[in-house]
Amino acid sequence: MRQLQKDPLNLINVGVAGQGNVVISLLICSGLVREGYQVTFGQVYPSQQRGGTVINYIRISQEMLYSPLMPRRSADLILGMEPVETLRMIHRYGNENTLCVVNPRPIYSIDIAGGALGDYPDLEKLLSAIDSLTAKTWRVNATEEAKSLGNPIYASVILAGALIGIGALPLDEEVLKPALEKRFPQQFEANLSAFKRGIELVTAS
Amino acid sequence: MADIDIDIDAPGEVAFLMGNEAIARGALEAGIGFAASYPGTPSSEILPTIAEVAKKRGIYAEWSVNEMVAMEAAAGASLAGIRALTSMKQNGVHVITDFLGNIVMTGTVAGLVLVAVDDPSGRNSSNEQDTRPVARWLGIPLLEPGDFQEAKDMTRWLFDLSEELKTICMLRSVSKISHTRGNVLLGDMPIREMKAYYDLERIARLANPIGHQELLEKLARAKEIFELSSFNHYTGPENPELMIITCGSGWLYSREAVKILQLERRVGILKIGTLFPLPENFIEKYLTRAPKVLFVEEIDPFLEPGVKELAADLPPDSKRPVFYGKRSGHLKAYGEQEPDTVIEALASILCIDYQPGDAAYEVEADKAAENHLIPRSGTLCPGCPHKASFWVIKEALKLDNRYGFVTGDIGCYTSGLGAGGFYVVKTVHCMGGGAGIANGMGQLGRFGFSQPVIAACGDSTFYHAAIPALINGVFNKSNFVMAVLDNSATSMTGFQPHPGTGYTAMGDTTDVVKIEDICRGLGIRVEICDPFDIDDTVSKLLELMDFEPIPRVVVMRHECELIRARREEVPYMVHVNPERCIGQDCGCDRLCTRIFACTGLRWNSETGKAEIDEVVCSGCGFCADICPQGAIVKEAVRL
Amino acid sequence: MERSMGRKKERVMENKGCKELVSEVFEKGLCTLCGACAGGCPYLVAYRGRITVMDNCTLDDGQCYQYCPRTYTDMDAVSCNYFNAPYAGDAIGEVQEIFIARSADLEIRGKAQYGGTVTTLLCLALEEGFIDAAVTVRNTGSWRPESYVASSREEVLATASSNYIACPVLERLNRFPKESAMQLGIVVLPCQALALGAMKQNPPANRVDICNVRLTLGLFCTWGLAQEPFHKFLSEKVDLLEVWKFDIPPPPAERMDIYQGSDIISLPLDEVRQFRMITCAYCLDMTAEFADISVGSAEGIEGWNTVIVRTDTGKALLELARSKNLLETVKIPEGNRLHLIEAAANKKRRALHEIIKVTGNKGELMYLGLSPKAVEKMMDNR
Repeated sequence: MRQLQKDPLNLINVGVAGQGNVVISLLICSGLVREGYQVTFGQVYPSQQRGGTVINYIRISQEMLYSPLMPRRSADLILGMEPVETLRMIHRYGNENTLCVVNPRPIYSIDIAGGALGDYPDLEKLLSAIDSLTAKTWRVNATEEAKSLGNPIYASVILAGALIGIGALPLDEEVLKPALEKRFPQQFEANLSAFKRGIELVTAS
Repeated sequence: MADIDIDIDAPGEVAFLMGNEAIARGALEAGIGFAASYPGTPSSEILPTIAEVAKKRGIYAEWSVNEMVAMEAAAGASLAGIRALTSMKQNGVHVITDFLGNIVMTGTVAGLVLVAVDDPSGRNSSNEQDTRPVARWLGIPLLEPGDFQEAKDMTRWLFDLSEELKTICMLRSVSKISHTRGNVLLGDMPIREMKAYYDLERIARLANPIGHQELLEKLARAKEIFELSSFNHYTGPENPELMIITCGSGWLYSREAVKILQLERRVGILKIGTLFPLPENFIEKYLTRAPKVLFVEEIDPFLEPGVKELAADLPPDSKRPVFYGKRSGHLKAYGEQEPDTVIEALASILCIDYQPGDAAYEVEADKAAENHLIPRSGTLCPGCPHKASFWVIKEALKLDNRYGFVTGDIGCYTSGLGAGGFYVVKTVHCMGGGAGIANGMGQLGRFGFSQPVIAACGDSTFYHAAIPALINGVFNKSNFVMAVLDNSATSMTGFQPHPGTGYTAMGDTTDVVKIEDICRGLGIRVEICDPFDIDDTVSKLLELMDFEPIPRVVVMRHECELIRARREEVPYMVHVNPERCIGQDCGCDRLCTRIFACTGLRWNSETGKAEIDEVVCSGCGFCADICPQGAIVKEAVRL
Repeated sequence: MERSMGRKKERVMENKGCKELVSEVFEKGLCTLCGACAGGCPYLVAYRGRITVMDNCTLDDGQCYQYCPRTYTDMDAVSCNYFNAPYAGDAIGEVQEIFIARSADLEIRGKAQYGGTVTTLLCLALEEGFIDAAVTVRNTGSWRPESYVASSREEVLATASSNYIACPVLERLNRFPKESAMQLGIVVLPCQALALGAMKQNPPANRVDICNVRLTLGLFCTWGLAQEPFHKFLSEKVDLLEVWKFDIPPPPAERMDIYQGSDIISLPLDEVRQFRMITCAYCLDMTAEFADISVGSAEGIEGWNTVIVRTDTGKALLELARSKNLLETVKIPEGNRLHLIEAAANKKRRALHEIIKVTGNKGELMYLGLSPKAVEKMMDNR
């Protein structure tokens, strides 16, 4: 078990209901627990329907069990599967040392899809705001990459790979392979490729 | 969904479990033979975790039609000597209180444990109510776990306690314990011989109030046991400046708050796990050690008044602390707690100026939020048949022109409140509430009431609670329409089986109880429609809304989109033909994106046309059927 | 975005939308049930004798408000579009020819209300291919009228006869898709003719191509009955399934005759009058002035129609009917002609008085955009 640079290490994984961010969180947590860390994985999600925000809070510690909810300005890592939701998390939990991986593909909320409350914000401006409020942000076009791999559903696994690839978590590819296999017994190869692609996308840049 | 088999016999092994899985594991370690529940977020995972291994372990697990039957069935098992568990959300506890008030009088035989999971902030509920007062009200020993380990250990221990005291015992969890995953040290899995037999010599119940007296004696015994329980403990300085008295998830938030404010030398934490009866002597030992006490707990003040009662009985010259908590307003008495709320309370009481992070960062973050954030409300899934149902109901009510409305109920379709259901739903209370209210309104013709009332409920809700209301309508001759929104699933809580699905919690096939058969058995008119067939369903609804002194039922049957999508390809490829789309012009005014408002549809204000978001669209094709210009095109994908 | 609704520069008032249509017309009981506002969008739908608002429309400039015959209507503009002359206020409007007529076809006469002229003309227009279909009204089994598109002789015959209940036939017209090339004839009441006139003057966007309406046959009308209340009243008095004809004989009869099986049940006209739509009191037009040909009863001459030909289109069709011996036409007796003019003039005067009672001011005439000259003429005509 590697020594944590910071204890606790706080990771937020945020997405829109239906994007499957729980899958990423479980993969990562399973690897971490296997390595011997104390992990708390809490969720805030709307009812079992699509469209609302799903927040996964992951606390990693070698000392004690932390609460499922995070205090303000305490996120070390933010994985954002959707741009507005990423900024929403940064607004509450971000600080100048936060590292961020974001999938820059907007998902319109029902509030603006109808056009009544205005438009989806200007994407480039939004992403710049995210850049300036974090120590470093990686943009990973997971949805597009997933489509080229054959199915948008791989986006979550690509992002999991990206998160590992930036090196902020005490995990690597080897640790996560058994977790991937357990979670996707039928589609292991495809998901492993997606995972590796995610790592590639952040180490290349 | 544990990383390991939930019934693995590997004591000392660490598993990564959510609170509900830990509770299930605790029950399995205690050697239960019987589990019965009704789905209810945040409790729903407990039963299926047990059901997954039930056959293997020779135990029985069922989804009952409602919490009443689940509670009673579990009690039946206990009375016949089999350890039993029942689990439910807070609203389920409301439903079982009559039975609870009686089982405490009769007592139990084998261990019987009630697990109640509350939902602070009501994120997935119609309310946020605290179930703990039930324990005090009816006389039930109550524990509350502070983390996932305790969730398991307490559940396991409660079966022993229940068996020793011969009374039902209760565990109260909250969403942040039940749905949070953490490291749990597993215990052993003893094999128990289970033989069911009901002792005919057993006294069914003692005369009142002797039964009550006996109950009080059991509670006194529980208190004695709780005085020595390791679920209650203190950490911190001998004489702190402030003592936090906490229970449940409040404990995790308090620990973190103390750490962040670096108050380990100044603040102590008294954690109570046995909440009723309170371990009075244990608490009194600590109560006078600090001049200030802050209570941290979820939802209602319960621990708080319990401890204050003890303080009232302290000897007159004792150093009574100043009490802070929900009563003093330092913590809100509504909404969920989190580390920040405890941090703020501590900072306020101890006059600490706490600023997380940089002031300049704060300003920049606020500005970015103002410029770039948009709301993201929850909504019905694209392709949801409830949306189609509300659409056709809206059409029918408008054409009928008598200010008719829907009395709503609990399920995914509760989102029919407001714009999502085109404003047709006007009341929502509890399971079956819509049908009950409709019954009453259906009698008000004598007072000049002429508005058609449609009681809308789901298929699972029908079996759960609506049948007695329907019978009442026949018996008392009430004028209303019941629309059963039958998507062949208990969708809201995770697609659990119900009497209409044809299979059980343990995966066995079973006879289907058909909604229409029940209606026909009552001698009432029942129509079966597909809400996607707009003309047919609207005309049937219009017919049914004509006055009759007896209820009429329309079953609006169409499979839940999420279930269908797991099984099949999309039925249609849908796209908008921009040549035909007139968008905001007279003749449309953006019907699809503005009124129908499915997340699969997007309004492009630059081009002035509607668009389909192909990643979100489920291909149901309903929007194509309502587009006034025929601009939305659906092409069948499969034959 | 450019809207393709042209508006004449003479129009004084700003156009409004659905919200104002509701507050200014529906809620004031002014709706004539012409149907011009409905069928062209998802928000206004005709059902059971009502125009229903299904959802809210946010547009503040709508065709619904524009074509409504009870919102501001520039009568001169409509009149110029038809007759190249402003609205003069003449009692029975523009007249090229007026006579009495009846169908030469016995089958048609058997089904007709009076002389069967409308039925004959529609059948002829269809046969000649002058129109592909006629938008008209037929009675359903329970005598609730419904809009109907007839494209054959049998179908037209099924629409013969009336029951004095308003039916929003323009709603059915609006539902023709904009790409449809079908040439249409339409049978309209005076209020519907006025709305249709407004539509012809400012062709609608995103719905039926109004130029396809080649033939407008108007019906004389004194007032219309509200569908649902009258229907309820009737069903208590007669067996609607056995009824095959309604008739209101000319004054001084003061009754409505209902032909039920082999019986005739007579109701006092006062009882029937209570179901008149309020809005009819504000109507100027007895003889459907904005039509190619207008048709009504011939008072005192049973089995014949009074016919007014107004346009060249109407004239051509009438000549054709005469030449094929489909219609018997006779000079209108002078007494009938004068009596018709008197009745029509009275209706105009009464309507203006009723309107001024509401507005309190001779210069404000509710929905009417009229020249002062025309107003004087209509008010003083005795």
